[in-house]
Amino acid sequence: MSDSVLLQEEETLARFQALLQEGSAEIPKAELEVLVAAYAKLLKNLSRLIRISDKNEQRLQSISDELEIEKKKMEGIADQLSRYLPKQIYEAVFSGDRTLEIKTQRKLLTVFFSDIQGFTHTSSQLQPETLTHYINKYFSELSAIAGKYGATIDKFIGDAMMAFFGDPHTRGEKADALACVQMAFEMQTRLSQLNAEWRDEGLQYPFITRIGINTGWCNVGNFGSADRMSYTIIGGEVNLAARIESSCEPGGVLVSADTYALVRDYFEAEERELLTLKGIARPVQTYAIRRPYEAGHAPERPIDLSIPGHDALRIDPPALTMPQRLTLIENLKRAARQLEGNDHEHD
Amino acid sequence: MENIDIPSTARTPRLSLDVASRVFLLEGESYPEDTKKFYEEPVSHVINFLSRSHDGEVVARFKFKYFNSSSAKVLMDLCTALESSAKAGNQVLVEWHYVSDDENMKELGEEFSEELSAARFTLIEY
Repeated sequence: MSDSVLLQEEETLARFQALLQEGSAEIPKAELEVLVAAYAKLLKNLSRLIRISDKNEQRLQSISDELEIEKKKMEGIADQLSRYLPKQIYEAVFSGDRTLEIKTQRKLLTVFFSDIQGFTHTSSQLQPETLTHYINKYFSELSAIAGKYGATIDKFIGDAMMAFFGDPHTRGEKADALACVQMAFEMQTRLSQLNAEWRDEGLQYPFITRIGINTGWCNVGNFGSADRMSYTIIGGEVNLAARIESSCEPGGVLVSADTYALVRDYFEAEERELLTLKGIARPVQTYAIRRPYEAGHAPERPIDLSIPGHDALRIDPPALTMPQRLTLIENLKRAARQLEGNDHEHD
Repeated sequence: MENIDIPSTARTPRLSLDVASRVFLLEGESYPEDTKKFYEEPVSHVINFLSRSHDGEVVARFKFKYFNSSSAKVLMDLCTALESSAKAGNQVLVEWHYVSDDENMKELGEEFSEELSAARFTLIEY
């Protein structure tokens, strides 16, 4: 029994194969007429099926082309959309890992805040095009460093940036806190270079940045209404990170005691006085990050730069704050390049 | 004779035969995993119905969005049976419905109409 839709045709074929096998000298004319009629019908159906099949294929190809155009359009939209969402959230949503519902959870996060000292004044002094150019460059640099360390960039608020570590992915509280402080240190290092470059370009107002970091339990997830929501973090520990940032010395990185406890083996820091912060009930112990520990923790000795016939310059590294240290490093590099006659080159 | 009413699925059409009103309907998409298995029994029942003599008009209503090549072969066999029924003396009307902007489905209907001469054929846009 055939399992195809060509049962009648197969039966006709079998019938005439049997006639041939019988070995008759001649096949009766009536039988031949049946064969011819069956063949004619088969030919007609085959011809029709080919046309139908071609039309279907043409139709499917046209649908496939339309889908390809739609797919490219959607990819373009998704690419545009990705710039307005934290990278990790965009990837999670588009891979189907995270459902779009208002749901929050408590997580141990390390929270980062930064802003530019005196930005209101700077923005009032610069032409809008100039301001746009430098602020976009500034955030592009910070975002690139944040991406390198795996930060979730929550949002940009004017000249401020808010980011966190620990969601949607965590490497553990210690690794998250360390990544955040390393990121902050690299940002300040890069900004000291950029400010020197921008000064050469004629920018009179450097983007000196304050950074505050805190580690604590936060509520993270989608907040807002069913129509419009933001993936963000809220809670007292988030506010504390913002308050610490506002107490940070310009060009520095100030961290809470909870963050410092997680990174103290990797960063040298200076204990600051207890801060009584607005909106925070308890006094907060903070630490100003100085620099990452070198292997072996060799004690730093004073540096003497004495040249006969010139004033002597003595630098005491342990006495330098991080902003002073970064500025000095950048100035010494530039001085060295100038002395070598390569002052047009930048690192 | 018994009525047939098989609901549609994503891959198979609705297939119904109302014996009292003499209306046979195929509606939806047709690309079954096993075409013979899906169509063999109900189509055999319909062909048996068409082979009988009927007092009123027999209506075959085709309302497809898509069908594959093996389904097309089944439709050809049905058209042959409809034409034979008309030649045997029944009044047979074949309605081929197609979505207004679906020129392809309209042309496929015209293909099938070439099989029919004793049976009446009409294209219906919806």
